[in-house]
Amino acid sequence: MQLQYFLLVAAALFCIGVYGLVNSRNAVRVLMSIELMLNAVNLNLMAFSNYLDPQAIKGQIFTIFVIAIAAAEAAVGLAIVLAIYRNRDTVDMEQFNLLKW
Amino acid sequence: MTQFLLQTIWLIPCYTIVGAIASIVWSPALIRRTGTRPAGYVNLGMTFLAFIHSLAAFPLAWQHPAQQLSVSWFQVAGLEFTLPLEISALTIGASLVVTGLNLLAQVYAIGYLEMDWGWSRFFALLALFEAGMCSLAFCNSLLFGYMILEILTLGTYLMVGTWFNQSLVVTGARDAFLTKRVGDLFLLMGVLAIYPLAGTWNFDELAQWAETATINPEIATLVGLALLAGPMGKCAQFPLHLWLDEAMEGPVPSTILRNSVVVATGAWVLIKLEPLLALSPVVLTTIITIGSLTAVGGTLIAIAQIDIKRSLSYSVSAYMGLVFIAVGTGQTDAALLLVLSHALAQALLVMSTGSIVLNSITQDLTQLGGLWSRRPISGLCYLVGVAGLISLPPFGGFWALLKLADGLWATQPWLVALLLLVNGLTAFSLMREFGLIFAGSPKPMTQRSPENFWLVTLPMMVLMGLTLHLPLILQSLALLPSWATLNQDMALLLIWSSLIGGGIGAVVYVGQGIPKPIQLPWQRLQTFFAFDLYTPQLYRSSIVFCVDWASRLTDWFDRKIIDGAVNLVGLVSLFSGEALKYSNSGQGQFYMLTITLGLAAIALSMSWSLVLQLMF
Repeated sequence: MQLQYFLLVAAALFCIGVYGLVNSRNAVRVLMSIELMLNAVNLNLMAFSNYLDPQAIKGQIFTIFVIAIAAAEAAVGLAIVLAIYRNRDTVDMEQFNLLKW
Repeated sequence: MTQFLLQTIWLIPCYTIVGAIASIVWSPALIRRTGTRPAGYVNLGMTFLAFIHSLAAFPLAWQHPAQQLSVSWFQVAGLEFTLPLEISALTIGASLVVTGLNLLAQVYAIGYLEMDWGWSRFFALLALFEAGMCSLAFCNSLLFGYMILEILTLGTYLMVGTWFNQSLVVTGARDAFLTKRVGDLFLLMGVLAIYPLAGTWNFDELAQWAETATINPEIATLVGLALLAGPMGKCAQFPLHLWLDEAMEGPVPSTILRNSVVVATGAWVLIKLEPLLALSPVVLTTIITIGSLTAVGGTLIAIAQIDIKRSLSYSVSAYMGLVFIAVGTGQTDAALLLVLSHALAQALLVMSTGSIVLNSITQDLTQLGGLWSRRPISGLCYLVGVAGLISLPPFGGFWALLKLADGLWATQPWLVALLLLVNGLTAFSLMREFGLIFAGSPKPMTQRSPENFWLVTLPMMVLMGLTLHLPLILQSLALLPSWATLNQDMALLLIWSSLIGGGIGAVVYVGQGIPKPIQLPWQRLQTFFAFDLYTPQLYRSSIVFCVDWASRLTDWFDRKIIDGAVNLVGLVSLFSGEALKYSNSGQGQFYMLTITLGLAAIALSMSWSLVLQLMF
């Protein structure tokens, strides 16, 4: 097992997250994609911490913070989605293009 | 006292300048209650002062060497502008003629412009002319001569445009300004080109330089032609002659001055430039050609006119053509004599016809007639003017033309034939005008035509006296060529040409045997000359056409191409703003995509060298 493989998996996961982020029509799926990207980051952090910094394991501390922040962010994100849904009765991202040119 | 009068000769132009400035005070806009007449009186006084000064100074300078005065104008970068004045019998004599004729013209104008409100402007301009011509006479520098000519061109524009509410006056003033201006601008080219060659603008030094100058003949020709163009426009020579015809729209008193002396300013400069022009035979040939064409063409046109003033104005062009011939053959003395005799006689003719027009209203020769019995003074003045102009001994024109013919006989005999022809045709033209005005039976316009009151008649009669006395004056100054050395056959020929021309004119027009109006069998020829060789159409289809279209094209280019290019920049930025705003799609996901792509691009560019290493 090498560091590169972890990094590649994390990068692949990040790319899948980006794809989902840009392409989903459902707002909740966008939030889910963001979670995917955050998890890819976490994977990175964990891998670096394991292979490069096994003594101080600062990466693992970072990961805990990221998980905590991601939870809070998902809560706020879902609240925003709910707030929009109440007004506009839909969670379709294509319907939220009011602030254009 | 002698030196004082001569040293203060520069005051002569200043007197009239003072008069010109003073007369502005009486313009109707400033003095609203008492009218503009004092402007005329003040100017008359100033002109009288200038005349007396010239008259007193003339005997003092006679048969004395010329004195030079010079005033430094300014110095800049090694170039020194000094205004040289020449105080000699010739220059004082010229100023005497100018001030004397202006004095008479002003008295005449006081009578003629009785019913006019524009005295202030009119007399101020007349004074400006007098000042300009006197300073031209005294000034001995080509550069300052050019400056004065330009000021006089502006003066002509304003003077012709006196009654600017008439549309023909406006176009006439325009043409007078532009035509003379074109000539002046060519003259400026010559003036500027002569300085590097000769290093001076002083006429005397230029003449000295020309004696020993060895320059490229092509340069001499080009400079000479440029110097010729100025006097060509000033003297109303072909093809720059139309302005004088149209300048006849101006008031008669100014016409007196213009026909007699103002057109002679060009001749004066030409005479002064003769040594320079003689450097190139091509230039001399050109001068003679232009002079001959104008002389013959002008007299033929004059014969075909039906307007009194225009008929005389073409005679002026023709006589200035003779002056050109005289200068072209190097006879400056004959040219000066011709200018003098022409000035007096022509002024008398204009005064006489002006006095007819003042009371008969029409200027149309076909509507005048039968005035001899009731207008004897005007008629006599006219006849004396004719006698003084053409070659009829013992009057002035005879001596001038005789001197000219005498000089021509030795070198270019064919010009003598031309001279005889022009003299005969002029005699015919003037007799035709005389016959149409004074002979025959009165027409409706001349049924009741009284002689004018003293202010118009007095200057006319004084001038008649002067014209009659001109030979005596010339004799007392020993200016007449001695009879013994002159070619007496030539004199006879000249007299015969005058008599034949005048005789035919008298038989056809004074005698009543031939029905008027006379139609030539070749109608086209008649209209060709009556419409002055279709010069307006010629101008309009050549120069005016080209300049007009060039300016339209430039204007179009400026509006469309230049302005368009600048506007295009603005339009492009407007359009790009309008088009690029659609990149703000309003889709959050699109923004995220943009951010991602941007980050990816930045990362790629930062690690480009790494990528290259990985690839190879």
